[in-house]
Amino acid sequence: MPPSRSLISLLISRLAMGIVAAIVFVIAARLMHFPQVFQIMFVLYAFLGTLVYILLDAPPVTRLDGLKAVVALIAFYAVISGVFIAGANMLPQYDPRVEKGKIDKIVKPKMAATEKGRVEELLKRTEELNAHSQAILKRLETLGGASVKNIESSVKGKESGGPKASGASGDLVALGKEQYELQECYNCHKVGGKGGLKKRGPHLDNVGNLMKPEELKEKLLNPRSYMAEGFEKEYNKKLMPDKYKELMSDPEIDQLVVYLSSLKDSTVETPKPIKK
Amino acid sequence: MKTAPAASARWSGVSRALLMAGGLLLVWAAVAYAQLPEPQAHNFPWGGNRAAVWVVGQLHILFAAFILGAPIFIVISEFLGWKGADARYERLAKEVTKVTVILYSMTALTGGLFIFVLLATYGQFTIWLVNHFFAVFAIIYPLLFIGETIVLYLYWYTWDALQGPKKMRHIALGVLLNIIGIITLFVIDGPTSFMNTPVKATEGGLDLRTYIETTATLWDKINNYSWWPLNIHRTVGNVVFGGFIAGLIAAYMYMASKTDEERAFYDWFGFVGNMIGVGALLLLPFAGYLLAYELCDYDASICPYMMADQLSMFFEMQGAMVGLIFLASNYYIWLSMKRIEGLEHVRMSAATMLLMITVPVVFMLMWTKWPIPDIMSLVAPAAYVVVWLIIAKITPWTVSSQTMVKVAFLMVIVGNAIWMTPHAFVATQALAPDDGSLSLPHGEVSLRFVTVSWDMLALMPAKNAAAFTLVFVTIVNYILYNRALRHGRIVWGKIDFISQFVLVFLAFSAIWTMGLMGAVRELTRKYFHVFNLQYDFTNESFTPTLSYSSWLITGITVTFYIIVSFAIILTLKTGKEKAHAASPKAMPAVAGAE
Repeated sequence: MPPSRSLISLLISRLAMGIVAAIVFVIAARLMHFPQVFQIMFVLYAFLGTLVYILLDAPPVTRLDGLKAVVALIAFYAVISGVFIAGANMLPQYDPRVEKGKIDKIVKPKMAATEKGRVEELLKRTEELNAHSQAILKRLETLGGASVKNIESSVKGKESGGPKASGASGDLVALGKEQYELQECYNCHKVGGKGGLKKRGPHLDNVGNLMKPEELKEKLLNPRSYMAEGFEKEYNKKLMPDKYKELMSDPEIDQLVVYLSSLKDSTVETPKPIKK
Repeated sequence: MKTAPAASARWSGVSRALLMAGGLLLVWAAVAYAQLPEPQAHNFPWGGNRAAVWVVGQLHILFAAFILGAPIFIVISEFLGWKGADARYERLAKEVTKVTVILYSMTALTGGLFIFVLLATYGQFTIWLVNHFFAVFAIIYPLLFIGETIVLYLYWYTWDALQGPKKMRHIALGVLLNIIGIITLFVIDGPTSFMNTPVKATEGGLDLRTYIETTATLWDKINNYSWWPLNIHRTVGNVVFGGFIAGLIAAYMYMASKTDEERAFYDWFGFVGNMIGVGALLLLPFAGYLLAYELCDYDASICPYMMADQLSMFFEMQGAMVGLIFLASNYYIWLSMKRIEGLEHVRMSAATMLLMITVPVVFMLMWTKWPIPDIMSLVAPAAYVVVWLIIAKITPWTVSSQTMVKVAFLMVIVGNAIWMTPHAFVATQALAPDDGSLSLPHGEVSLRFVTVSWDMLALMPAKNAAAFTLVFVTIVNYILYNRALRHGRIVWGKIDFISQFVLVFLAFSAIWTMGLMGAVRELTRKYFHVFNLQYDFTNESFTPTLSYSSWLITGITVTFYIIVSFAIILTLKTGKEKAHAASPKAMPAVAGAE
């Protein structure tokens, strides 16, 4: 049949052009040092173009009626649903576990500070105490009087201890670095060559040599207090959010200040702060 | 004596009214429930609480988008039909209204359900929100909803009565329906946008919490940073949505048509729906950009979260969807053009083609040199386009419509490839590996005008240039189509059958993209119910993966499609068959007889 012959020849010619285009793209991309993942993207675009140019010149489709049209529609919906889901699955996926860990560290202390959080904490401790007393009673029943004092002291010891502030005596720099990660400062600033894709905020590698701890704290609490040299436009656009004094506790801010003060790599060019 | 179809129509009207009253009662009951102290959150058994709210909320927004978007072009269509004495516009308006009336009750029902699911799953926060917007939820929104219901029913049931000299009254009713609809949208956008950008104190040094809890008025809370951008974005989006759903209705009816006359009408219907959808779509990237700009202006940390951090691949997917939508809409224009007799004689200036080819690169360089909103970012591109158009006027070289269309498709693909190019193929751009194995190559070349590098492709000037290219190509294709219409003759009903699948695809993709971007807007609140103000203490406050989201969005889109498909078949197909059965057989009429 002539129409099917023309369709076949169209398919062959367009596919040949698509393959040639894909090869040219890959060679050009390699010469220009594009990573493999971008080369794959270019090949996919070459094939998208092939499909488009096949459709542009394809012979008309025969009309479908009744049940055939319904089946074709359902099949079409299934295909496009599958293509959209597959497309979304092919792209790199963010791992929610990373964020869950961050959220726990940020949100749980806030939760504990609320009335509901305090009630929940009290309920939890009541349950723990109840479990302890049950254990004491059981052991009293089974053990002699001499053991009772030991049990009492062990229970008291546990109760008076309570939940200790984790890392209170730990490395403040490490805690400050954790705050840097939690508040996602890396989205605008670079430290050690990581972070800050666009020019939003200055590199911070040598900020410890350029600013005193109290100046750093002032900048965090009031972003208008200092401007990094060469960042006039960003300063005027108020890119640094004015929210950390509300969202971070005093110890968290202090930890972050300690970490920033520890950044003293003078080999990296770090913009000078200008007092405003 | 009442006829059977009249009684049936009345019953269907009563059932719809009951359904809507039920929906409204649910809203009021929810507001009353919100006054009770501290309800305990329930755990939704399938998929969790967040998924339950996501599904019901998204379904509600999809129905609402259609019933707010469709009346805008219904009334324009009715006006055009009356002004130009073209019965096709009148019929189009009436058929879309029929479907709108059915879907209106679904909007009310899902809206009530949405509030109930919210109260059951996020009770504490919902109570807080309802109390902050009490007048909106308890008085203004229900009154607007009742008003809209009354006007919609008046509009529908007076259609046949208000004809001839009374037609303008009917059109005025349609305009009133749109005014109420738009006000309703703006009012409910208040709490929605407030959750993204709660208003900050401009003076007095109050912190956000103290200001919102003690000083901010209802108007302050409504009139927040992202309220107007959201209003504009949703209004334009609703028109796009309404246009593409009209295209879907036309595609279904075209496939079910038995006569050439019916096919001619639904072919034309599909074309008009697509034209309205695409026309509004051209504005959508810019409305979206304005919304994103305001979000970033409110808090600069939102921007990297969207574009470079957890949501960056959602924007990759958006780029892919936008590219597919523009390819499909231009393909539909091409299929419409192909059946115009005399197309082979239509030509266009070669200068226009060269302008189209150079736009992405030249505009990217210009917007790198003069970033938006620098005045030169407007002047330089405008001057560039004007110069080329003058050259097009004064030079004799032309290209055929075939060549022009093929180059136009190439530029859609190029534009989309630029849109899709990220800094790195990783989920968190800012933390891409140092070895460059997944990132664009570095290396700069300094030109006299501007410094260029491959990195530029991942930045906003390139994305804006890509969006402009897609819009520009579509406009050129429509100009070409109009030229072909002037030189040739269109045969309605003879369009390639595959065009109906293109209309179906456009509606499906538009809804899917709406779902995706709606999710992005909601997710920019991160682990807050109200950004920077009300923490989300549940275990589901993390950013879901794109993979998970795509399954959910597809499920919602398919569910919406099933309901809309039933509504179309129920109102138009079976309604038509009933009308055929009830009407007497065609009889020759004596001239002058009534």
